[in-house]
Amino acid sequence: MSSMQRAKQWATFARIWHIYDAKWQNPFDSSKTIAKYLKGQHKPIYHPLSDCGDHVVVINCRDIALPGPEWYQRVFFHHTGYPKGGATWTLAWELHEKNPTKIMERAVHRAVGGTLLRKGLMARLHLFPDEHVSEDLLRHVTSQIPQLRVQPRRLDSYSEEEVRDFPKVFDYPADHVIR
Amino acid sequence: MSFKHLFMKSSFVKAPIQNGIGRYVGQLQRITVKFCKEHSDSKGVRDFIENQVVDFAKQNPGIVVYLKPRRHRAPHVKLEYLNGETEILSAKCLSERELRQWLEVARGSSGEPVARLRKMQHTDRPSIQGVWTPWTNVPPQTNLETFPSEEGYRAPQREQTATEKLRELFARQQEQKQLTEETTGTS
Amino acid sequence: MVFLTSPAWIRAAKPDKFWRRRRTFRLSAHYFGRARNCYKTAIIRVEKALSYALVGRQQKKKDMVQLWEQRLEAGCAEHGTSLPVLRQGLMRCNVLLNRKTLADLAIWEPRTFKVRGSQLAME
Repeated sequence: MSSMQRAKQWATFARIWHIYDAKWQNPFDSSKTIAKYLKGQHKPIYHPLSDCGDHVVVINCRDIALPGPEWYQRVFFHHTGYPKGGATWTLAWELHEKNPTKIMERAVHRAVGGTLLRKGLMARLHLFPDEHVSEDLLRHVTSQIPQLRVQPRRLDSYSEEEVRDFPKVFDYPADHVIR
Repeated sequence: MSFKHLFMKSSFVKAPIQNGIGRYVGQLQRITVKFCKEHSDSKGVRDFIENQVVDFAKQNPGIVVYLKPRRHRAPHVKLEYLNGETEILSAKCLSERELRQWLEVARGSSGEPVARLRKMQHTDRPSIQGVWTPWTNVPPQTNLETFPSEEGYRAPQREQTATEKLRELFARQQEQKQLTEETTGTS
Repeated sequence: MVFLTSPAWIRAAKPDKFWRRRRTFRLSAHYFGRARNCYKTAIIRVEKALSYALVGRQQKKKDMVQLWEQRLEAGCAEHGTSLPVLRQGLMRCNVLLNRKTLADLAIWEPRTFKVRGSQLAME
C-alpha cells in the first residue's frame, strides 16, 4: 500500500467528534441517536466488525426532560454483587440529584447493546452536567447532532415587543378577581 | 462434498509485475524432465520426448528444457518460475497427451501457489471520485463554526405547534378585518 | 418358469468401508481430538457442521441485505432523505439499481450517489 492510499484510508476511517445538547431532550430517545453515532451507523462505510464509531460529547445532562410521570416512577436498579441485600432501587429524580449525568449514561449504556464492544463505545461517550466542557475536548468537535425536540422557551426569554404583539385570545372581565 | 478449501490458502487475484497489461513476460523459465529409458511408467514421457519436445522448445524460446535419463526411477517434471517458485509434477503413468496438457497449464501459470480466491475481481483504482470520507458531504462553512453552534439546534419540526396555529389564525383574522374595512370604506 | 424373486435378493455391493468412511474423514480432517480420527464421533460432528453451514449460507444473504440497507440509510440521511424515498424515486426515474450497487456507490463514488438523490428531488 502506497503512502497515498494509506492516507486515503485514514481519511475514510477518521474518528469525528460530535456534540449533543441534551437540554429539554428525552434521554431515552436521545440515547438511540447517540448510540448510532457511537457505533458509526451514520456512515455508509459501516460494518459491524470495523471500528468506525465516533466520539460524542453530551452537554447539559442536568437539564434533560423525562416524559410524563417518569421522574418519580422510573426506577434504576443496582446490585453491588454481594449476596444478601446487595440490591438497591433508586428513583430517577433521586439518581439525578446524586449524579446529573447518570441517567443519560444508563440510557446510552442500554442503547448501545450488550456486546463486547460496549465498553469501548461507552469510553467514547463524554457526559457533562452543564455546558462547561474542557477546552481540549471541545477543540476536537467538528459536528453537532441536531436535537430531537424543539426547546420550549420561557416567557422571560421573549422581548416585550413580542409579548405585546402576541394575539390576545381572551381578557378577564373588569370585575374578575384573581387570587 | 468439496473439502479442498480446508487446507488451501486464500488470496486475491493478482498479476505479477502487472503481467499482460501492455506486455507479457512468460513466467515459466525452466523445465527439467527426469525419466527412465526402460520402465513402462515413463512410456508417455518417452513418447513426448520422441514426438513433441523439439517442437515445444522451438515454440517457446523463453523456456529451457532439460532431459535427464535416470535409471529405474519414477518420471517427474520440475517446473521453475521467474518468481523463484519451483513445482514438481509427477509424470508417472501419464500419457503423452496428458503430459503436454500439464505443460501447457504450467506455461500459462504465474508460479504463485494455487489458492482459493476470495474475490473474482481486482482493481487498483477502486474509486474515480474519491472514497467517502466523513467530510465528503459536509458543507465547507462548517469549518468556520464554533460548537455548539446555533445551526445545530434546529430540531426537525414535525407538527404545527398550538402557538403557530394561533398566530396563523390571528394573521388571517387581521387580513379579513382589513379587507372588510377597505370594502366598507370604498362603498 | 421365470423366477422374479431371487434376482431381487441380490443387492448392489456397498463401496468399500474404508473409502466410505474416508469421505467423512476428509471433512473432519481439521478437527481437534477424537472427532478427527474416530468415525463414530467424526460423523456426528461432520453432520452437525454441515447443517450449521446450511443455516449459515442462508443467514449470510440476509445479513448482507441488512448491512446494505444500514449503509444506504446512513448515506441517505447525509443528504437529508430516507431509503424508501430514494428507492421510490429511483423506481420512478426507471433506474434499476439494487441495494448492493447503491451501497457501493455511496462508499466508492459518493458524487454519483448524491446526483441520484438530487435527481429524485427534482422529480
